[in-house]
Amino acid sequence: MKRIPRRRGVKAAALLASLGLLLSACSGDGDSGGGSDLTAPGAEVLDGLDEAVQVEFWHSMDATNGQVLDGLIEEFNSQNEGRVEVTGSFQGDYDTALANHRAAIQQGDTAELIMIFDLGTQFMIDSAQTVPAQSFLDEDGYDTSTIEEALLNYFTVEGELRSFPFNNSTPLMYVNRDAFEEAGLDPDSPPADLAEIREAAEQLTVTDDDGTVVQYGFGASVYGWFIEQFMARASTPYCDNSNGRDGRATEVLFDDPKVVELVEWWEQMIEDDLAVQIGRNTDDGQAAFTSGRAAMTLESTGALGGFIDQSDFEVGAGYFPLISADDPGGSIIGGASLWINGEGHTPEEIRGSWEFIQFLLTPESQSVWHAGTGYLAVNTEGYDGPEATERAEEFPQFSVAADQLADSEINENTAGCMMGVMSDARVAAEEGWEAALTSDTSAQDAMSEAASGVSRTIEEYNESVGD
Amino acid sequence: MTPGPVSERRAASPPPPTSKRTRPARDATLAWGFLAPSVLVFALFLIYPLGRTVYLSMHGNDIIGRPNRFVGLSHFAEMVSPEFGRILLTTLVFTLGVVVPGVVGALAVVLLLEGVLRGQRILRGAFALPFAFSVASASVVFAVFYSPGNSVLNGILYRMGLDQVPWLTSQEMALWSVAITTVWMNLGYGVLVLAAGIGAIPKEVNEAARIDGATGPRLAWDVTVPMLGPQLFFLIVISTINALQSFGQIHILTGGGPVGSTTTLVYSIYQDAFAYGTSDFGRASAQALVLLAVVLVCTVIQFGVIERKVHYS
Repeated sequence: MKRIPRRRGVKAAALLASLGLLLSACSGDGDSGGGSDLTAPGAEVLDGLDEAVQVEFWHSMDATNGQVLDGLIEEFNSQNEGRVEVTGSFQGDYDTALANHRAAIQQGDTAELIMIFDLGTQFMIDSAQTVPAQSFLDEDGYDTSTIEEALLNYFTVEGELRSFPFNNSTPLMYVNRDAFEEAGLDPDSPPADLAEIREAAEQLTVTDDDGTVVQYGFGASVYGWFIEQFMARASTPYCDNSNGRDGRATEVLFDDPKVVELVEWWEQMIEDDLAVQIGRNTDDGQAAFTSGRAAMTLESTGALGGFIDQSDFEVGAGYFPLISADDPGGSIIGGASLWINGEGHTPEEIRGSWEFIQFLLTPESQSVWHAGTGYLAVNTEGYDGPEATERAEEFPQFSVAADQLADSEINENTAGCMMGVMSDARVAAEEGWEAALTSDTSAQDAMSEAASGVSRTIEEYNESVGD
Repeated sequence: MTPGPVSERRAASPPPPTSKRTRPARDATLAWGFLAPSVLVFALFLIYPLGRTVYLSMHGNDIIGRPNRFVGLSHFAEMVSPEFGRILLTTLVFTLGVVVPGVVGALAVVLLLEGVLRGQRILRGAFALPFAFSVASASVVFAVFYSPGNSVLNGILYRMGLDQVPWLTSQEMALWSVAITTVWMNLGYGVLVLAAGIGAIPKEVNEAARIDGATGPRLAWDVTVPMLGPQLFFLIVISTINALQSFGQIHILTGGGPVGSTTTLVYSIYQDAFAYGTSDFGRASAQALVLLAVVLVCTVIQFGVIERKVHYS
């Protein structure tokens, strides 16, 4: 008697479970392409609205940067009362925001506007949820001549601008000016290439009587972005098919002799006690610099404000170094861009998001943004705004990044690699680099092995997007 | 709450006045009624996720993370590789490196404190304190101790004229640095459990042993430790499971590096499922099932081997 209902219950549960699985399997197969045409609506869709269009904006800006962004949102809302209302929503760091966005796509509930970091660009294109930025430019005849060219270069794929650059930065070399002066070096002309860094490091490294190093000449974290930057400055592509911009990339090229030279140099610097060994955590690299342990370091422009606040010496900034003196130079960017979701959103919402982006790209907004955060001014006229000018007078180091970018030649190598698994590639580069530093594996073997490991991941990705 | 005891009690009581057939049926309904809430919770939060994990482990994903093709057991087949072998080895070394010093350390602290008559409670409290730290805050504190370039520990070693240790930047050292952090975090719980156990040992046992001439280490080893058997066994099982599931300290201190030297099974699951913008839930689910099997096997072995030697008073 007892067993019959129990078994029935089990059967029912099994049936329910398999139904659930079936349903989820179906939803998994179906709607990947999307039927609606993702194009920009005209300005007229916002005419004669009964109430303001709601635009939810997912971003990854917290602390100071978040406050500056909130200020801009508030200003936009007050200018557009009854028309468009933007609500900012902090989603955690870039990786988390992307994971949240993935979940939102699964549930068919994406925000109107999202901020996605550079490495997610190809994924955003492949997931086919957004209206290409180019479509808005074409619809409105929007003039991009004052937008930073290097940024347009990065976010343009197959001739079309895909998203709107917003919070972007580029890495620099930072120097401890006090240490430079003590060592009899000129802090106004910091080393420009690896050989010069080594020379300076020999002067800057201080040891105590027992031979223990108390101040290293150089110390930076093992951060994959730096390899991307070094390769751009050497005008070497990071992945094949012209950095993935002429067609899908199928392999990464960071086992290039240039990079091997860099990794070998790095290894030798540590071995000779001229550089301090830092792991992959960028906080540790920053701490080594601000505490005075390392007299030179590599970091993003975004770190400048923190460096000035946290160190008790004068901070200097120079261009990111070249691998060898005869490299052509150039600079790629990092950071995030803004994407307008089309799939599942009304023309009013799409247009509302674009109105907000236009506001963010004005010289006035960009002056506030650059001065408040240290990010590049996307609209170069932003540098002439009152807030930006004041900041540049107080801290001339802030203009180094803009100069470095302006000096950069625009080509496919400085555009950077466009690839769906760019995050994996960056981690693989870091692992190869770290393997060379922490084991007997030679730089060449370590980088080659890391690069070939990525090929399989790329293949899997390219297969899963099916072209 | 199983139907068992209820019907047994019924059977033991004098024969019920009503028909024999309906009573057990009504009992069963009643039992299921009481069981329903917990069955529902279990089904929703344990059985469904387990079923879902099995399902995901046999499917490939599209770029959004939705399962889109059946791949059979190929995720499991892929695990037969030197890379996965290394992950398992790292997990094993880490688990031993956490459980053995953790349990031995807690036992040593408790036994040594037995000899302290004044302020024993305060000292016990102090040793149990790490238990109050969250994984995240303890890891952040240790991250400062270990920080390459600015290590507090290296600063102390330097003052003592000793060599610097590459706590987190050497492939050989990093796993031990994470293990030290974990042992420190677990110590408090171990001390709490064993101190409670020692307090529960009847005074007569110790007195009898003393009359027989046992003192100091002899008393501790031959009387106190065997009497702590149940607590030690419990501690070994719990800390093994905890060690196998460690995540926060690895995430904060090393991120699985350098070069995968601190990538344990749990961390590898995280990397495949969520890190670096990937969403390979298929591979991650397959590894999660392996983790489940590992935990299960460890626990069964521990129950089979160690528990037999445990003396329950």
